[in-house]
Amino acid sequence: MIAQIPILIVVIPLISSLFCPLIGLWRRGLCYLWAIVALALCALASVNTLFAVIANGTIHYRLGGWAPPFGIEYVVDHLSAMMLVIVSVISLIVAVYSKRTVEQELPGRVVYFYTVFLLQVTGFLGIVITGDLFNLYVFLEIGSLAGYALIAIGEDGAPLATFRYIVMGTIGACFYLLGVGYIYISTGSLNMADVQQLLPQLYDSRVILTAIAFLLAGLAVKMALFPVHVWLPDAYTKAPSATSALIAPLMTKISLYVMIRVLFTVFKPHLSIELLPITDIMVWAGFVAILVGGIMALAQTDFKRMLCYVVVAEVGYIVGGVGLANTIAIKGAVLHILNDAVMTVGLFTVAGIIMYKTKSHNISDFHGLFKKMPFTMFAFVVGALSIIGVPPTCGFFSKWYLIQGAVIAEHWAFLIALLLSSLISVVLFFRVIEIGYVFQASHGGNAHATGHTATIDEAPLSMLIPTIAIALSIILIGVYNQAILSNIIAFAVPRL
Amino acid sequence: MFEFVVSHYNYWAYVGLMMIGFYAMMAKRNLIKKIIGMNIFQSAIILFYISTSVKKGGVTVPILEHAHGGHGAHHAVNIMQYANPLPHVLMLTAIVVMVATLGVAVAVCIMIYRRYNTLEEDEIIMSIKRG
Amino acid sequence: MKALSLITGIFVGAGLIYGTLDMPKWGDPHSAASTHVSAYYLHHSLEHTATPNVVTSVLADYRGYDTLGETTVIFTAGMACILLLRRRRSG
Repeated sequence: MIAQIPILIVVIPLISSLFCPLIGLWRRGLCYLWAIVALALCALASVNTLFAVIANGTIHYRLGGWAPPFGIEYVVDHLSAMMLVIVSVISLIVAVYSKRTVEQELPGRVVYFYTVFLLQVTGFLGIVITGDLFNLYVFLEIGSLAGYALIAIGEDGAPLATFRYIVMGTIGACFYLLGVGYIYISTGSLNMADVQQLLPQLYDSRVILTAIAFLLAGLAVKMALFPVHVWLPDAYTKAPSATSALIAPLMTKISLYVMIRVLFTVFKPHLSIELLPITDIMVWAGFVAILVGGIMALAQTDFKRMLCYVVVAEVGYIVGGVGLANTIAIKGAVLHILNDAVMTVGLFTVAGIIMYKTKSHNISDFHGLFKKMPFTMFAFVVGALSIIGVPPTCGFFSKWYLIQGAVIAEHWAFLIALLLSSLISVVLFFRVIEIGYVFQASHGGNAHATGHTATIDEAPLSMLIPTIAIALSIILIGVYNQAILSNIIAFAVPRL
Repeated sequence: MFEFVVSHYNYWAYVGLMMIGFYAMMAKRNLIKKIIGMNIFQSAIILFYISTSVKKGGVTVPILEHAHGGHGAHHAVNIMQYANPLPHVLMLTAIVVMVATLGVAVAVCIMIYRRYNTLEEDEIIMSIKRG
Repeated sequence: MKALSLITGIFVGAGLIYGTLDMPKWGDPHSAASTHVSAYYLHHSLEHTATPNVVTSVLADYRGYDTLGETTVIFTAGMACILLLRRRRSG
C-alpha cells in the first residue's frame, strides 16, 4: 500500500468525485463531508510522500509497470513533493472553509460543486506529479475544464469572463501541445527524463527553439504573465468565493511549476541561461509584471479585483526570480511559490468571509469591519504584512532572497521593482485598513452597508478557523523558512 | 528547393489552418464564431501530429499481420511497413479533450444567452455598461 | 482588434513554420519519431499484450493512464455542463 501512495494521491480525489453525485442523490448534506474526507486522505498521503522524498530521495512510480519511456512514469522529487503538499493542503482548507459560502452563493448546486471541486484538485495533482509531457497536458485540461465550470457559476458577468478565459486558456493549452509535438517530432519520446537525455545534441535545431518558445508562451498564458494576464482579473473577481479561494492561489503557481520543470528538467539549465537569452527575457517580463500589477492594483475599488492584480504582480516576482538564474534567486522564487500560494489563499478567504457577511466585495463597504470581525481582520493584516514583506511573515524571507539574487546578478531594475512593489503594497493595504477602522458608516453612501451594519458580526467557525489557520501558517512558514529551504528547496533547484 | 517544399508542405498546410482558427478565435466578435475558430485550431493541431505518422514506401495501418493463433510473436515485425502508432494514440485523447472543451464552451454560451439574449460580444458589453 | 489579431496570427504562424524548417521530411522512415519508442511498441506489442492492433495496445496498456485521463476529461465536461446548465425548479 505504501508503495502505491504516489498514484493514490491522484486517484483518491478522482474516485471520490465519481461517487459524489451518487452520495448527493442520497443525502445532499453529505457531499461536503465526503469531499473533506477525500481531501484529508489525499493531504495525508502527500505529506507522507514529502517525508519519504526528504528521507530517501526521488520516488519513481511506473504506471502499469511499464518502464519509461515506453510507459508513463510518476516522478516525485523535492519540488514535486512540495507542490503536492501545497495543492492538497490548500484544497483541504478551502473545502472546509467552503460550506457556508457555497450554501449562500450557490444554493441548489452544492452536490455538483463538490464533484467538480474534487475533479479540479485531481487535475492539479496530476499535473504536479507526472513525469510525462503528454500526461501533463491531459491533466492540465481536466483542471482547466473544472475551473471553467467553477468560475462560470459566479455572480453576474461571470459567464462572459469565463468565456474569455476559455478562449485564452485553450490557446495556452494548445501552444503547450504544439511545443510537446515539436519535441516529439525531433526526439521520438514523451518522457521528461528521456527527452532530457536526447535533446542536448539537438539544441541548435530550429525545431527545439520553436518548441521551447511555444511551451513557454502557452505556460505564460496559463500563469497570467503580463501581457496575457487579461483573463485573470475578471474571472477571479466574478467567481464564487470558494472558487476564487481554491483556484487563485493554485492555478498560476502550478503553471509556474511546469515552467520550472520545462526549463530545468526537460531542457538543461544551460540552454535557457547561456545558449538562448530566455532568462534575460524572463527577468524583464517579471519586472514589467510586478510594476503593472502594482499600479493596476492601486487603481481598483473592488477588493477582489485588487487582490487579482496582486496575484499578477506575484507571478512577476517568481518569473523574474527564476530569470535571474543564480542559486539564491531561484531558491527565493521557489520559496515564493509556497509563500504566495499561502498568502493568496489567506487573502481570498478573508474576501470570501467579507462577501458572506456584507454581500459585497467593494472596498468602500468595508466600514468598521475591524470592530465587527476582529479575527478575520487579524488574518487580513497578517496576509497584508506578508505581501508587503514584513518579518516574521513568510513574504519577507522570499523577497529577501530575491533581493539578494538581484544584487548578485547586478540586475538593478528588478531590484528597484521589488522595492517599489513593497511600497505600493503598503499603500494598497493601508487604504483598506484605514477604511476598515472607520466605524461610522456614511449613511448617505451605499445602501447595502447601512442595511447590513446592524447584522455584521464575526464569521461562522467553519469559515473562521481555516482562515486563522492560514494566517498562523503564514507566520510559521516565515519562522521556519530556513528549515524548509535546507531540507526541501535546496534539492529542488538545479545546480548552477 | 522543390524537394524541400514537397517534403515539408504538410506541416505548412496545417500551420496555415491553425492560423485561420487562431485568427477566428481572437478577432471575431460573435461567441459561436470564436468557438468554431477554437475547433479549427485544435483540429489542425491534431492533423499536424497525425501527418507525422506516415512512412514513405507505402505503409499500412499498425495492425500486425500473421498475429492470430499465438504464433505471431515469433514472426519478426518489419516496422517499415506499419505506420507510427503513437501519434494516433495521442490524438485520440486530444480529440476527446477538444470535444469536451467544445461542450463546456457551448454550455457557457447558453448561460450567456439566457442572461443577455444575444451572442455578439459588443452587444453584451453594451448591455453590461448600461447596467 | 482585427488588425492586432491578424499580425499576431502571422507572427505565430511564421514562428511555427520557422520551426518546421529543420523537421524530418514528411514520411521519413528513419526519423526519430518513427524509430525510438514507436519501434519498441511495434516489435513487442504482440508478446507483451497479445494484441495485433498496436494502437489499441498502446492506448489501453502502455499508455493506459492517459486513457483514464481522457475518460476523466469527459466526466469532468459532463459534470461541468450539469453544474452550469441545470435550472432549479422555481422556489
